[in-house]
Amino acid sequence: MHEMGVANSILVAVQQELDLYPGRRAAKIAVRIGEYAGVDPDSLQFCFEALVKGTDLEPLELAIEWLPASEALDLAYLEMEDVETEVSV
Amino acid sequence: MNQPAYQKIDIEKKVLSENDRIAARLREALGDAGTLALNFIGSPGAGKTAFLERTLERLPMHTRAAVLTGDIQTENDAIRLQRYGYPVRQITTGGCCHLDARMVENHLDGWPAKGLELLFIENVGNLVCPTSYDLGEDAKVVVLSVTEGEDKPLKYPGIFRKAELMILNKIDLLPHVPFKAELARENARRIHPEIEIIDTSCTTGAGFDRWLQWLAARAERKRAEAMMALATHPV
Repeated sequence: MHEMGVANSILVAVQQELDLYPGRRAAKIAVRIGEYAGVDPDSLQFCFEALVKGTDLEPLELAIEWLPASEALDLAYLEMEDVETEVSV
Repeated sequence: MNQPAYQKIDIEKKVLSENDRIAARLREALGDAGTLALNFIGSPGAGKTAFLERTLERLPMHTRAAVLTGDIQTENDAIRLQRYGYPVRQITTGGCCHLDARMVENHLDGWPAKGLELLFIENVGNLVCPTSYDLGEDAKVVVLSVTEGEDKPLKYPGIFRKAELMILNKIDLLPHVPFKAELARENARRIHPEIEIIDTSCTTGAGFDRWLQWLAARAERKRAEAMMALATHPV
């Protein structure tokens, strides 16, 4: 069950990126997982949701792109939105 | 206020970049020292510890070797391995199903790694999780035993893909189990056509001559690379 550790690494990376963009919050983080990465996507999704729950990052969506015959375990992109805009609407 | 309310940025980073950073540091240190580091991965009960015991027993005299052995709980494996006179350290992960680079680095602390020719790292018994974590090793070695299924390479393709060498262990039991060895080898090669395979038995010692040759050749290459590097870039 190392997906918990992988999920945590993703959240740490999200927080590091967010620190560079004051006034923004994270909406979606996308990762690329290869068939040979040794990571189960369903389990990762489950662990990710469990970790995010109750934190300042919630709600945060995890998008997983599955790559056959690949060893990738990479971050892909982060979608952010403006915190103020969200409040004023 | 003219900032867009929505922004998408690309992140060119590995998910486990922190682990990879430490692994790279380890690889550099082991490279400088000319130490061949091997990461042994296999299911619980595949015979990883027995394989290392038999290996230590048969190493040429005065080989400078050391073992790090990972388990979730207990020091049992370290106690078994210490009988052969080489330095052994147990990494108890306390529930974690794999070793990561930081655990390895922490446990190498204080060891005279400089003079080491061989570092054996026995990972936690698990075919999945250890696959994702680079430990700074030169090669992953997957241990599969004939009391398991011959379809293991297909079920756990990640480790068979990343391992340079497959040890097909417990072959002395072949007459007593329905395991089809050739099918297991075929399955491994289907996932990883270049994988090297050595059949071994820790009970009879079969295959260990070949394995020790493999080991000696790799260790020699690593030593030569370190000396080359030192000659071209003196410290």
